[in-house]
Amino acid sequence: MTKRAPNGVGRRSVLKGTAAVAAASTIGFPFVSKAQNKPIKVGMVTVLSGRVAILGSASQKGAQIEIDAFNAAGGLGGRPIELIVRDSKAKPEEAARIAREFINSEGCEILLDADTSAAAFAIQEIARETGILTIHTNSETSSLTADPKLHVPTAFRSARQGIHDAIAGGSYAAEVSKAKKLNRWMGCSPDYAYGRDSNKLFFEYLKRFHKDAEVIGESWPKLFQPDYTEQLTKILQSKPQAVYSCLWGGDLTAFIDQSSIYNLFAQTEVFAINIADYAVLTAIKNLPKGIHSGSRYLSTFPPTKENADWSAGYRKKFNEYPLNWSWENSAGTKFVLDALKKTNSTDSKKLAEAISGASISVPYGVDGKLTMRAGDNTLINYSTGWGQTIQKDPFVPDVKSVDWKMILDLETEWKKTMKYI
Amino acid sequence: MTRSSLLRDSLIAIAVFAVLALLPFIVPGKGFTDFMVRLAAFGIFATSLNLLVGYAGMESFGHGLFFGLGCYSFGLIMQTFPVSIPVAFLATVGLSIVVGTVVGAICVRLNEIYFAFVTLAFQMLLHSLIIAWTPITGGDQGLTGGIPRPPFLGIRLDDYYHLYLFSTGLLVASLLAMYHIVQSPFGYTLRMIRDNAARAPFLGINVFRVRLMAYVIAGAFGAIGGMIMSLFVSGAFPDFAYWTISGEAIFMIMLGGITVFLGPMVGAVMLLLLNDFVTKMTTHYGLVLGLVILLFALGLRKGLMDFAADLWRDRQTPTSGPRPDTAAKTAASAPARAGE
Repeated sequence: MTKRAPNGVGRRSVLKGTAAVAAASTIGFPFVSKAQNKPIKVGMVTVLSGRVAILGSASQKGAQIEIDAFNAAGGLGGRPIELIVRDSKAKPEEAARIAREFINSEGCEILLDADTSAAAFAIQEIARETGILTIHTNSETSSLTADPKLHVPTAFRSARQGIHDAIAGGSYAAEVSKAKKLNRWMGCSPDYAYGRDSNKLFFEYLKRFHKDAEVIGESWPKLFQPDYTEQLTKILQSKPQAVYSCLWGGDLTAFIDQSSIYNLFAQTEVFAINIADYAVLTAIKNLPKGIHSGSRYLSTFPPTKENADWSAGYRKKFNEYPLNWSWENSAGTKFVLDALKKTNSTDSKKLAEAISGASISVPYGVDGKLTMRAGDNTLINYSTGWGQTIQKDPFVPDVKSVDWKMILDLETEWKKTMKYI
Repeated sequence: MTRSSLLRDSLIAIAVFAVLALLPFIVPGKGFTDFMVRLAAFGIFATSLNLLVGYAGMESFGHGLFFGLGCYSFGLIMQTFPVSIPVAFLATVGLSIVVGTVVGAICVRLNEIYFAFVTLAFQMLLHSLIIAWTPITGGDQGLTGGIPRPPFLGIRLDDYYHLYLFSTGLLVASLLAMYHIVQSPFGYTLRMIRDNAARAPFLGINVFRVRLMAYVIAGAFGAIGGMIMSLFVSGAFPDFAYWTISGEAIFMIMLGGITVFLGPMVGAVMLLLLNDFVTKMTTHYGLVLGLVILLFALGLRKGLMDFAADLWRDRQTPTSGPRPDTAAKTAASAPARAGE
């Protein structure tokens, strides 16, 4: 027999109801809360294996430092950012696959392309196809954003650019050349698109600012070549007054170490655009004094307390020096995070509108600011300059800034030459 | 191979395609369709390599020549000329036949390691050409700017599902065509040349011509795989013509097996799944892949489908007292070569 309550509700019904409420309170309510705090997933495609694995490691840390600070401050209305990082093995088709996987299977709402340039072009097409907000954080190839045919409204570049570096390097080298009467030049750059473009543009701008400069020879080591004897012999035989090189990473370290054995630095001035990055500076066994280099990233340039603090914070968190890729990824992530706060949305179009033309406050920008130029969606006003090495930390103590107005004027001229505008 | 078996296999292919067409509605998410598009590209590529390795005994190390050629020629045609996709498709297949004939005429005269290395040399020649001919190919940045996909016959390849149908349709059609080739008298001639190239001329077979035809046919299918890949990434990259892409196809047929027609397809599934899962878990993909290859090479000593086929054959054979004629047949079927 079933006892009924005065309102006609049975004991079993009451027990069932109580059980349901209890279940809802233990399963249902936290579920609602969990849905509200669902992380915003950001997918990073990068290289975590092979010769350039350091690129991925520094890129991940650069992005993570910003994301951790954002999450610690409460995220986006309680929603934290989750960074998912995958290794493309430096293969464009794998980068494209991972980018699609992030969007289609992992539920990523934003892409960070921290891969090589070839992969960046592949990911640009994914951005075009899917319309997802994409930040290219490492590709320095100018055409990625300069060529209007490749333009994607939701894709941006937060990295330095080849044409900017060439103008900055050419103008600095011309000044030194005029002062020291360095007229006979040679190039020694890696034999692939970046090396050939950088070499060509550097000499183009050197000659523009210093009419007497003459290129007497060029030497093209293969990418990841271990032995530079052939190139060094050619340089020593040609007796140039100055050498330009855009070798980078382990290749540059090997080249500098082997050049020291041949006593190259006593016989010629060397302009190596990629030395001033801690990965290279700390890897060279005996860093020669007086090599000219562009500033990739230095905690002493810009010489501000904010930059030194940012560098120190990074070193404390990760127990290693920040690199050029660190700030580029930090900057890209910060543009995204600022846009998220501004729009309170993860909609790619809204975020892109917020990022286009925006400025962010960061210690590695000119006057503490970086700008994402509207129109071609690329980064400008990052700190760039040239200086000479010394053997100990701070390695490149006196970096001379290059004027951004000149860079932008000449960039416009270059774009016209390339028929981009 | 009779007309009725062609009809039967065609009906099976249509049924398989119908099932594939329905699968995206059962398996949700675009991750599945992406996987199948890549599988179509690599499946056709690996199976076409097995036409040479498994059936003709021609161990090509440079089959990526055609994969890269397919990617680049299809991409360049679509970017340069206002043509439809079927026209670019046919033009690419045509180009691969021409290139296959010229390269094959040089390579197929050679045997074993000499053949392997000359094919590899031609592949690296294409790779060098791609790197050096920057104004046309984009050099080491690849063919950028996307591949136009004008609609044709109501098919819009910028739509995920349409690209999936197109790719899986090509996969099924290519597998059907290759299956019929290996089951045809031509296919059996290939096996004969593989097993005894010296005896074949005494039976009136022009070994050079047959080997050249096999090389050209395999190349044309390899190029179809490349075309699908170029649609997947909407571009073409020098990696697609690098020797490592040939290495991947060799891994696929090693993992899947060379004696069963669908072995390379199974290998392609295994290698792609392995890549996708391992990449999610660790950055030591190379180490894991190496261990798996070792397991197959030293453990099974053959591909998965070869192992399964041998197991099945063993189970079919009575364990005690087989009749002498049955034992002879079993012994004849033992060699692990394709199609036996």
